[in-house]
Amino acid sequence: MNNEHKIVQQVYAAKEDVQAADRLIGTYLPFIKTETAKFLKRPPIEGHDDELSIAMIAFHEAIGGYSRTRGAFLKYAAMLIRSRLIDYSRREQRHSRVISLDAPAREEDTTLGEVLVGERDPHEETASRDATRAEIEELARQMKEFGVDLSNVADNCPKQQRTLDACRKALQYARENPELLDDLLKTKRLPIGQLAAGSGVERKTLERHRKYMVALLLIYTNGYEIIRGHLKQVMKGVAAR
Amino acid sequence: MSYLVMECHPGYAVLLDEDGRFLKAANLRYEVGQTVYDPVLMKETAERQRYTMRWISSGIAAIAACFLLFFGIHYYQKYLQPYSSIYLTINPTVQMDLNRQGTVVRLTGINEDGKALLEGYDSKGKDKVTVADELIDRAIEMGFLSEGGQVSFSIDSPDDALFQEYGTELRTKVTEHLDGRITITIEITNHQDGQGQESPENSSSSTPSQPSSSQPESTLPSSPEPSRPGNVPPTSSGSTDYDDTDYDLNDNNSTNYVPPSTSTPPADTDYDPDDEGVTNYTDGNTDYDPSNGTNDDSDDDDDGDSGYDDDNNDDNADDD
Repeated sequence: MNNEHKIVQQVYAAKEDVQAADRLIGTYLPFIKTETAKFLKRPPIEGHDDELSIAMIAFHEAIGGYSRTRGAFLKYAAMLIRSRLIDYSRREQRHSRVISLDAPAREEDTTLGEVLVGERDPHEETASRDATRAEIEELARQMKEFGVDLSNVADNCPKQQRTLDACRKALQYARENPELLDDLLKTKRLPIGQLAAGSGVERKTLERHRKYMVALLLIYTNGYEIIRGHLKQVMKGVAAR
Repeated sequence: MSYLVMECHPGYAVLLDEDGRFLKAANLRYEVGQTVYDPVLMKETAERQRYTMRWISSGIAAIAACFLLFFGIHYYQKYLQPYSSIYLTINPTVQMDLNRQGTVVRLTGINEDGKALLEGYDSKGKDKVTVADELIDRAIEMGFLSEGGQVSFSIDSPDDALFQEYGTELRTKVTEHLDGRITITIEITNHQDGQGQESPENSSSSTPSQPSSSQPESTLPSSPEPSRPGNVPPTSSGSTDYDDTDYDLNDNNSTNYVPPSTSTPPADTDYDPDDEGVTNYTDGNTDYDPSNGTNDDSDDDDDGDSGYDDDNNDDNADDD
């Protein structure tokens, strides 16, 4: 009983705090592995079986979705893990006829992946990945100054297309008025009033997605060329409207 | 759709899609900065969504239930609930319960003959006139009604206008229905107080060739007996003594007996044509009540009470 209380408290703490969630997942990794093993009928190998990753995100989802009224947490988590693994296996059935890249190619020593990789330059790819990582790390550091981190943003991200469009509209307005972005960097505050007045988006919408707006506006301040390149779609969508 | 891996946690990764959404997905050995194409995204915890759905659906259900209840009650009141009744008396007596539309919802035989008359008859969804016509036809077939007989409709309705309407309708329609085949007398009475309906065409259209049909109207001066209860139809057994009713053609509420009538027995009644509730008896030994039986107001006067005095009877003066 007492033990159960502890895990419920931990789960509720993990809902608020990203680090606590990570710690909880770390603590219950054996449980997650057991559940995965029940599904796979063999012990999962860490860093090799996708199923384990699926089980871990299902556990994470369970942390987010759990409420005291739903009974014991571990049973809920086990149920969710099982359902997500079933979802995943159904999804993967489509690819059941595809040959693995690790399958041996014509020559004995090489695998299919090595034969096919041809056009892509692994060195260039690694370099660009490093550049991207540097950018993302810089962004994360800057966001921390606003008291926001990327996991929060993911939780705070608009789910509805309509809300997403509204946020883009506000972003478009901010881009047309760069002094707003300067203000943002200087004061470390989101100029919600000006954004709402200028773009015609409901103030409430912007307030609700404050963290997301911070991330989006920061990406459009300076630097972050690569991320912006990835996001080309965002502004295209607004321009079309 | 390509996704940029923004952050990696042991349990999940944060991805940025091309539309600017930040999403959580299963961390399939991703590294920050990597571009991935086929991630396993975390499903939205649809908790809030489900609750709103539940709210919406329960709201709709509640509204629908209200509507159903409302229309159900409305329907019941309009079509199923007995609103008025008609007692059809030939010799068989039959009770017809009507809804607000005038359609028969239930038929009951009051006496044995009535039950026999209804044997195998289906009144479902038929109008009162149709049912009355068909029942009279059946009565003729079965020998209950013959030439020169009488049919009495006693109408029990909550308001007087409906009584008048039903009475007129029944009288005209039934007369039309039987026209040329058989001549009978049709009598319409109010079941509650036994008053007959005024009907100018009663003598003329119903039975043109029958002199006896005009008899009810011609009886007003002849009958000295005001105490006859009017609501006979359900209890009468065929021999209706309508000869001595005091029904009036154009005045059905007051009993305006004319003192110089030919009748002798109650020679000392001083009925007054223009006051009806006051009993100004002076002799003190008659117990006639002018309002007895024919109209139900001023029923405080009990019949056995004698010795009325004009001057000092307080209990009687209150009534007016």
